[in-house]
Amino acid sequence: MKNRNLNYSSAHKKYLRGLKLKTFSVHLVRILLLFVVLGLWELCATTQLIDPFISSSPSRIINQIKILAGNGALWHHSSVTLYETVLAFSISTLVGTIVAILLYAVPFIRKVLEPYLIVLNSLPKIALGPLIIVWMGTGTKAIVAMGILICIVITTISMLNGYLSVDKEKILLLKTMGASKLQILFKLILPATFSDFISILKINVGMSWVGTVMGEYLTSKAGLGYLIVYGGQVFKLDLVMAAIVVLCILAGLMYAIIASLELIVNSKRNK
Amino acid sequence: MGNILELKDVELIYHSPQSETHALEKLSFQVENGEFVSIVGPSGCGKTTLLSLIAGILKPTSGKITISGKHISADASQTGYMFQRDNLFEWLNIWKNVTLGLGFKKRFTNENKDYANNLLNKYGLKDFKSHYPSQLSGGMRQRVALIRTLSLRPKLLLLDEPFSALDYQTRLAVQDDVHAIIKNEQKTAILVTHDIGEAIALSSKIIVLTSRPATVKNIINLDFDKNLTPFERRKNIKFNEYFNQIWSELDS
Repeated sequence: MKNRNLNYSSAHKKYLRGLKLKTFSVHLVRILLLFVVLGLWELCATTQLIDPFISSSPSRIINQIKILAGNGALWHHSSVTLYETVLAFSISTLVGTIVAILLYAVPFIRKVLEPYLIVLNSLPKIALGPLIIVWMGTGTKAIVAMGILICIVITTISMLNGYLSVDKEKILLLKTMGASKLQILFKLILPATFSDFISILKINVGMSWVGTVMGEYLTSKAGLGYLIVYGGQVFKLDLVMAAIVVLCILAGLMYAIIASLELIVNSKRNK
Repeated sequence: MGNILELKDVELIYHSPQSETHALEKLSFQVENGEFVSIVGPSGCGKTTLLSLIAGILKPTSGKITISGKHISADASQTGYMFQRDNLFEWLNIWKNVTLGLGFKKRFTNENKDYANNLLNKYGLKDFKSHYPSQLSGGMRQRVALIRTLSLRPKLLLLDEPFSALDYQTRLAVQDDVHAIIKNEQKTAILVTHDIGEAIALSSKIIVLTSRPATVKNIINLDFDKNLTPFERRKNIKFNEYFNQIWSELDS
């Protein structure tokens, strides 16, 4: 397979070269864009075109991160938020999927609960903030609860829709083969909706960060959301920006983990 | 030989909130062991419904359906169902697709695995066992679907327009394949189709149904040389005679 390109015509080789060039230029411009924006920002800040006290600047953000890293605060606040996020992400994905399976398996309950799910889905979860604090206290529990609230309904609805859209003829096929309901679930429904599951994981990466940062806005003693609120209150916008940058990096890493998980499973499936 | 399948005065009424539909009425026929029977009829007359009844997926409103003298149940040891689309699982390789049904009801025995393996070897899929469905042509995929059905050793094969999703050229080739495989494995088959030519090319007997509520209009026994392939039948003089006969049956 590897030597196949030896047989390609020169026209095809030219096409492949062109394709490579296009991908390369996309990457190049992407990186350039980042540096140009950061450079302009830095330039405007140092020449006092914009007030760095309000707008911060890349160098000030880097300095701030260095300070945070130096006194251990970076690790402390990041790990608090990361812990809450991973917890909210895992619980809501797991429980949301199990609820979706139950709703799929029992049409009666599904029909009964349908309007409630729709209302829950469109409800802005932040409105429940005060209730969560009263019920759960002001600790980690409340923040994780906020994260779960944000992810779980959309997980349930998305997975349920995935299950319901599995080809009816394939279900019929398994029935004619004498498969039990549980066998249909594990042999067909779950594998057939694997891509739905991956996309809900990807959505939940974003949503669980939203949830925990929002939870930290409501009530927290530590965490990146706490840093942002605190920085805003004392007008240390470098701190706000630094926390946002760290959030971006962590969320991006978590997304990358899910994406590589998808690659691994897909390559195993198609081997 | 003896009858493998017997339908007696089968009636089926579909219910929906708006209305009830009389799909089948006083429908009776028999299928003998080793026969290849085609069922043709005006579109929407309930051909697929009839197969679902024989497969035990639906229950008749009244009447009796027996396979080898026993009442039918949804169990693959009785009937094997083949659909218009191959319904292969894209995430399983060919071998796992073919042995899928063996996993249910604890049929994953060495004997059954050997049988499935032999079928794959015999019918040109030897080198494709670890391939995925997306790597196979439409014709090969439909052959895999047939072997998946056969590997459960059903007494009776139910074919629900299994060729209609294929392009014309592939369809003719796959018809020859499927016919040869079914004959070789000495299976009894019931084919539902709206394609008169296909029915004549493949069957030993054609059952013509009336429009809804469907009942048997006529049964035509086809008299071709036993060794003709479906494709050769299409070139035979009798082919056109049968075609015209069935065409007029459906028309009136």
